[in-house]
Amino acid sequence: MRSITKLSLVVAALVLTGTALQAQTNNASITATASVQTPINVLGAQQLSFGNVFPGVNKTVVAMDLTNAGRFDISGQASTPVTLSFTLPATLGSSGNTMPIVSYAGVHAQNSTQTGGIGFSPSAGASPSLNASGQLWVWIGAQVQPATNQAAGVYTGSIVMTVVY
Amino acid sequence: MKRKRWIVIGAMLLGVPLPAQGRPITVTGVRGVTFGAVLPGVPRVISRTDPANSGQYDIRGPNRRQVLLSFVLPLSMTGPAGALMPLSFGASDAGYSQSQAIGSQVAFDPKQPFTATLSNNGRGSVFVGATANAATNQRAGAYTATIILNVTVLP
Repeated sequence: MRSITKLSLVVAALVLTGTALQAQTNNASITATASVQTPINVLGAQQLSFGNVFPGVNKTVVAMDLTNAGRFDISGQASTPVTLSFTLPATLGSSGNTMPIVSYAGVHAQNSTQTGGIGFSPSAGASPSLNASGQLWVWIGAQVQPATNQAAGVYTGSIVMTVVY
Repeated sequence: MKRKRWIVIGAMLLGVPLPAQGRPITVTGVRGVTFGAVLPGVPRVISRTDPANSGQYDIRGPNRRQVLLSFVLPLSMTGPAGALMPLSFGASDAGYSQSQAIGSQVAFDPKQPFTATLSNNGRGSVFVGATANAATNQRAGAYTATIILNVTVLP
């Protein structure tokens, strides 16, 4: 009887110890997944060109002018909305002389021919969508106002367009 | 005498899985964290309360026992040609629910160990959210990472 009791205690101790030493830890993993879309690419494709300007005579290039309006070409994720914003100069400069540039106007379209194009105010920006191929075209027009005593020369300024998803 | 001895040994061995010692802890990955479409330059946040996109683990173990939850969190997701996209976890991006309901979580910091108590029937769920921080020039494609949850039954 005594030997049975001793044995019981030993077995009990082994069992309890064994239980206590059993790993009571477990783990599982899950996966995080994401699909990164195509980055935006912007190209200044065509300059806004006023050509010859005469003192005292305002000259306008409309945004619908496919030849002289400034044009930006955008590529990115297909069929995705983007936000357009602009930094617009108030004057053009030439060797320290300035000439006002005003009345900016814009058109954005999902093709390079402006078919179905939508006019907008560049100072307010716009929120068009890229087409099914991930492309968008933007044209900018404006008016220059040379003074009657405007100094002759080549006047330039930079128009910056920022595009974000 | 020998017969009694074997009876005792048998009884002790059978006694191992007695309910008083509780069931073993098990952890199951139920759902991954799904960011879906991510636009370059635009952080994508998945909340731990998002029923469709948050990650979820289910825990089964001893009734009413305390468990220690700890994560192994990735710093980034890996994409095409080994491209990396940073992944971040906020101080309340993990949540524990004894009732396993996504709507009744106790928030905790997944970067710190957290002590939780299993329910009366030995269950609980852990939910996790995160933020994918895509760079403006982030390479397009599919990105993945693994999030591991360790669960330890406290004595």
